[in-house]
Amino acid sequence: MGKGWLIWIIALLGMGMAQPAQPIKLRFVSLAWQTEAVKAVREVVADWNARNPRIQVEYQQVDWNSIQDYLTTSFQARNVPDVFHYESNPVLDFANRGFLVNLAPLISAEMRQDILPGAWQTVSNSKGEIYGIPFLMEPLIVLYNKKLFTQAGIPLPKDGDVWTWDDLRRAAKTLTTGQQFGCAIGLRNAGNRILNLSVGFGGDYFNKVGERFTVKVGNEERQLLSTILAMLYEDKSCSTDGLGLSGTELIPGFLAGKYAMIPGVGAFVRQQIIEKAPAGFSWGVLPPLKARTQNQGSVSQTLSIPKDSRYPLEAMQFINFMMNRGNMAKLAAGDWLIPTRRTSTLLPPFGTNANGWRTSVEATRFLTFPLWQQVNGIAEIRSRVLNPKLQLLFANRLSLDDFARQVESEGNEILKKYYP
Amino acid sequence: MLSHRLQNRLARFGMSLLLLAFIIFLAFPVVWLTSTAFKPAREIGLQNPNLIPQQATLENFKVAIEDQKVLQSAFNTLKIAVISALLTLLVALPAAYLLARQRSRMNRAVTIWILVSQTFPLILIIVPLFLILSRLGLVNTHTGLILVYVVWSLPFVLWMLQGYVRGIPVQLEEAAAVDGASQFDILSKIILPLLLPGLIATGLYAFVNTWNEFFFALVMLKSPDLVTLQVNLARLRGVEGLARWGPLAAGSLIAIIPTLIVFGFMQRRLVGGFLAGSVKE
Repeated sequence: MGKGWLIWIIALLGMGMAQPAQPIKLRFVSLAWQTEAVKAVREVVADWNARNPRIQVEYQQVDWNSIQDYLTTSFQARNVPDVFHYESNPVLDFANRGFLVNLAPLISAEMRQDILPGAWQTVSNSKGEIYGIPFLMEPLIVLYNKKLFTQAGIPLPKDGDVWTWDDLRRAAKTLTTGQQFGCAIGLRNAGNRILNLSVGFGGDYFNKVGERFTVKVGNEERQLLSTILAMLYEDKSCSTDGLGLSGTELIPGFLAGKYAMIPGVGAFVRQQIIEKAPAGFSWGVLPPLKARTQNQGSVSQTLSIPKDSRYPLEAMQFINFMMNRGNMAKLAAGDWLIPTRRTSTLLPPFGTNANGWRTSVEATRFLTFPLWQQVNGIAEIRSRVLNPKLQLLFANRLSLDDFARQVESEGNEILKKYYP
Repeated sequence: MLSHRLQNRLARFGMSLLLLAFIIFLAFPVVWLTSTAFKPAREIGLQNPNLIPQQATLENFKVAIEDQKVLQSAFNTLKIAVISALLTLLVALPAAYLLARQRSRMNRAVTIWILVSQTFPLILIIVPLFLILSRLGLVNTHTGLILVYVVWSLPFVLWMLQGYVRGIPVQLEEAAAVDGASQFDILSKIILPLLLPGLIATGLYAFVNTWNEFFFALVMLKSPDLVTLQVNLARLRGVEGLARWGPLAAGSLIAIIPTLIVFGFMQRRLVGGFLAGSVKE
């Protein structure tokens, strides 16, 4: 009897030991929202889960408009996702507040070399710490209507052609007839776009002395603004419709032939054209416009790990899988953006001429890490000063001199809080 | 000079026209929503879109139901909203009765506190609330969210119900007591039937409050199977004012059906209740 009990106990213990351990559960927050992008993320996660029964990933979709509040609350309440998708600029802000894992020691040499240096800059601080893996980049491109170009006698741009802002202005004048405008620029909440496009003119909008920043609107910063104002009010070749709209909201007008060009839109907008263009609509993409250079400021989309994640190493394994050459290409293609890995851009569809892929990929060569992204308090300056003042400037209700004076004085007042 | 009768007719016609304009104004978003739900992406993106879809499609509903699982999240929301509303009423009813009938300094202080609590911004309480629920193991559960919604709706529901209770003459209760009715009989046979319109109105408030709530649900529910409708539909929004408009419209159309049914049913009861209370037989 005693032996019988012993056997039973051993058998039960054995069964207990033989039971597989509970898998680790990682929560992954993704911001992918376009149909193909969501599909790509689901496929990559399912692939990981099938290959890694001991580390299972739960995919949680959050939208771009809620992610800041969602993450802020999660960090404060210490109930965090293990991996989250966001954008380099706010990611560095979260890192400064001590919420994120420094990924630098966890990144493989292969990944470090393959991802574009400019992309790494967007997620690194001055100490060499890295707080996100940059995986998508978004150059600002110019869309143009091929049929309207041909009708106006403007030769269609060829591969390798470089257009300057003066070329754009001339073409816009030629293309403006009757109800048709040469171009339209989305100028609602244009702060980010203006900051990034001004880089080509040598405009930084900030001075850095030591670790402190001050706002400046000098000659370099004024050049882009004067060009846009001249097109809006002197040439009248740029539609004022754009004053209240974003670049993407101008797409219906572009498809209807009302605007011949849309400068300064993100590369992902091409997906909207594919989805919504009428049959036979013929369009193309111009590379970044040249001012002093073709450079543009850029942010990257990133994957990061919160400090409060219980499984940072497993989370990094999952990131490595998501960011391998093939998966990064798949995610980028789904979002109509450009992968940061050089080897991923060699995969289809990035090398094709169709749908502006090649031009968009080549545009990433000109992406730089602008000074404004290093400024603490940039979000407040942008929303409280830059965006409203730009709105007044482009509506012709504020002179360029007054704009410069007001942005400098009000911007510097805000900076005093961040650099006491 | 127009006759009095003609003047009356013209006035009635003018009022009817105004009413019609108001109805069109209110109904237009729903009509547009319905139209968008049946349009392919190409038609939605037109510079001058048509109200009637040229090539009507059910594809948006397919995406909303199959890919986005709108039906499941609608069911989650309905369950949470109904249970929250009922629980809120259950807690608020005796409290409202007590506050309305037993006037004391303490009760006045409680009433003022209820009003003050309404001014707390959401963001102020979300973190401590989250921490408490986390300790109780109620994060990422519908139970936790229902608890939050009950607490969130309770002050205003209590405030509203108090007013309805005060509207019922105390003499009715005194007469019933004189006739030998117990306190329970008074509450269940006299107060409760008379309070029905008030209960429906406040219940509807709690229901709608919960149905439309977004932020608590976003922060508290993590598993895809548990999400509520508002959070699920928000995922169809993109950047720079872009969205997957077709599936979003289809999902929203599906989403408003239960609320329309609840309102249709409740409204009749609400009006019926008011009329019953206003007529002496």
